[in-house]
Amino acid sequence: MPVDPKMKILVVDDFSTMRRIVRNLLKELGYTNVDEAEDGAIALQKLNGGGFEFVVTDWNMPNMDGLTLLQTVRSTPSLKYLPVLMITAEAKKENIIAAAQAGASGYIVKPFTSATLAEKLTKIFEKMGQA
Amino acid sequence: MSDFAGMEDLLQDFLQEANDLLSDVDNKLVDLEKMPDDRSLLNDIFRGFHTVKGGAGFLNATELVTLCHLTENLFDKLRNAELHLTPELMDLIMAATKGVRDMFGDLSSGVQPMPAPAELLHALEAVLKGEAVAGVVAAPTVEAAPVVVEAAAPVAAAAGGPDWEALHGAVNGQPPVATGEVITRAEAAAAVPAEKPTNAAFGRRGSDRPTGGGGRRVEERARENTIRVDTSRLDQVLNLSGEIGLTKNRLTSLRADILAGKNDGETLHALDQAVSQLDLLVSDLQNSVMKTRMQPIGRLFQKYPRIARDLARQLGKDVELVLAGEETEVDKTMIEDLADPLIHLIRNAVDHGVEATAERAAAGKSSKSLVRLEARQEGDHIVLIVADDGRGMSAERIRAKAVEKGLISEEEANTLDDRQSFNLILLPGFSTKTEISDVSGRGVGMDVVKTNIQKLNGSIDIRSEPGKGSVFLISLPLTLAILPVLLVLLGDQPFALPLSLVREILPIERDKIQEVGGKSTLVVRGEILPVVSLARLLGWPQERYPEYGVLMQTAERSFILGVDSFAGRDDAVIKSLEDFRPRGVAGVTTLSNGQIVLILDMKELLVDGQHMDIGGRIPALDMG
Repeated sequence: MPVDPKMKILVVDDFSTMRRIVRNLLKELGYTNVDEAEDGAIALQKLNGGGFEFVVTDWNMPNMDGLTLLQTVRSTPSLKYLPVLMITAEAKKENIIAAAQAGASGYIVKPFTSATLAEKLTKIFEKMGQA
Repeated sequence: MSDFAGMEDLLQDFLQEANDLLSDVDNKLVDLEKMPDDRSLLNDIFRGFHTVKGGAGFLNATELVTLCHLTENLFDKLRNAELHLTPELMDLIMAATKGVRDMFGDLSSGVQPMPAPAELLHALEAVLKGEAVAGVVAAPTVEAAPVVVEAAAPVAAAAGGPDWEALHGAVNGQPPVATGEVITRAEAAAAVPAEKPTNAAFGRRGSDRPTGGGGRRVEERARENTIRVDTSRLDQVLNLSGEIGLTKNRLTSLRADILAGKNDGETLHALDQAVSQLDLLVSDLQNSVMKTRMQPIGRLFQKYPRIARDLARQLGKDVELVLAGEETEVDKTMIEDLADPLIHLIRNAVDHGVEATAERAAAGKSSKSLVRLEARQEGDHIVLIVADDGRGMSAERIRAKAVEKGLISEEEANTLDDRQSFNLILLPGFSTKTEISDVSGRGVGMDVVKTNIQKLNGSIDIRSEPGKGSVFLISLPLTLAILPVLLVLLGDQPFALPLSLVREILPIERDKIQEVGGKSTLVVRGEILPVVSLARLLGWPQERYPEYGVLMQTAERSFILGVDSFAGRDDAVIKSLEDFRPRGVAGVTTLSNGQIVLILDMKELLVDGQHMDIGGRIPALDMG
């Protein structure tokens, strides 16, 4: 799947170092049109502003966590089909179930390499292509 | 060689952010002792460790991940009320927090942290295990609607690797439309992160850039030289730069007009306007640039409640450190240099200032002592206050002690008022406490506090009332980049003196000058002060007798500097003389008329003067 470098991606994490890590990994894969938000609430504001084609979000954040963000995105008509990749530090079963139930497009466990990230993205795009 | 070759920048970011986070955790832990069941506190602390863990994973700092993971789990149990906070547990948590901080220390020297102390890890594991049995029964496993859980649970329980598509369908009632489900079986079954962390996990290869020098040096340099600035402030700088560019264009076009001989009223008015505007913009720009160096002092303050708490516990006292004015902004370099003096003052307040609980009860005071750390801006100064409600100090006793220690003579002691007496405790080698505690106070420290504050062009003042408490007041300039100066003249040549050292200005009457031990002195309100000629200090010929004296006070002494006249006070923007710095000159500044003025470093000048054995002495009679 060819990378669309123009694709506008929102990286959501309360830890700015982590946003930078994810940003760097995305850059390594060729995605350069990346914006950041430091919690779910700010992310939602940015998403409602339009233009985003992909969201990579952390789970555990103040104000609005990643799961709530995901649920809100899925229940907002204009954002409903936006792909959301969840990042968390845990590979706990209940977390994964919760993410799946909320409609996560993918789930990735920290720490990860750019290769893993690429693999997740490819899978998500394949699914989208099929739909 | 650093363990983090190629990722120093990221490590630096991580450490800065994680340190802030941990300080925040520290403070919340202090709050938690008061409100052990506060869920939002527990959540915040949990998230703190969780976030550090996440970042540490990318740095391959496995030992840090392990420690954070255990501590995080502990807080997970606390917030789910599976565990309850006991003093012993609190101590364990504090130990774990300290462990994390120690590991930050390792990381900042560019090495992977060693494992946490085995007993700490064992204790954490034991606590987690001891409660885990009961916890499993009580713990809710899935956060979702009950109906959904029932439908999904059998599927999930049936196999180690559940059918995610089916699960997804069962949950949503239909297959997802556009959002594909890519959660893999491997992950679902995995109880540990799927990828073993490797260097590549960082998203940047070690070979990406040359690794010059040892990691440690890189880290240290980076720590000193980086600053976090609110983007809106940078935007403002950018904006002003743009405006200045526009005004410059306007001036360029006006210059062309004027050079072409156009000098009618309208053109000159436009010129006047453009210059005024430029004036305004430049001073705005200066302010904005200065503001990028300003940081809220709260970032420094937040470390202290924990330090005060630990110390108080160690001493068996009940002390609360109350913070105020954390939002006050201070020049970044100053914040760094204030860290040690403030720690010392706080330790001093907790150790010497406040009484033991029994003593307070006997004095009819509340058992809990308050130590207040406050910052506020007063005009062009920042004022820092460390105040305690302890036993206070007796000026009488301090004077006696200073005489006993041979720091001042009996006669000198008799001339001191209370305020001056309190300041004696800032002298090197002073300590009124007979028994030495291992916490603070061996008679070293308070003088270092004073020296450090004076290095920042600040001053320190002490007030105290026996039985009521003591107050340490530190006054600092807003920034080190702009220095309020007194302009003095030698003949026509102006020199700038740091205003913070100037106590007063007085006329020098020749017949009042006394020769004591071959040195000129002047008695000011009972105080015998040496008179030093600026011309002599600079090695200039003494052309005439100085008419005015500037009473100056440096860390070591007070003296009167003889000068010819004054040209007023000014806010000097210091330009440093980096490669060419004559001794005794702190820098230069430019006056409004374009004249360049040297800013004098009095301390250096005095040392030089003594060294050359001229002592800046003014010969009493050999000049007219």
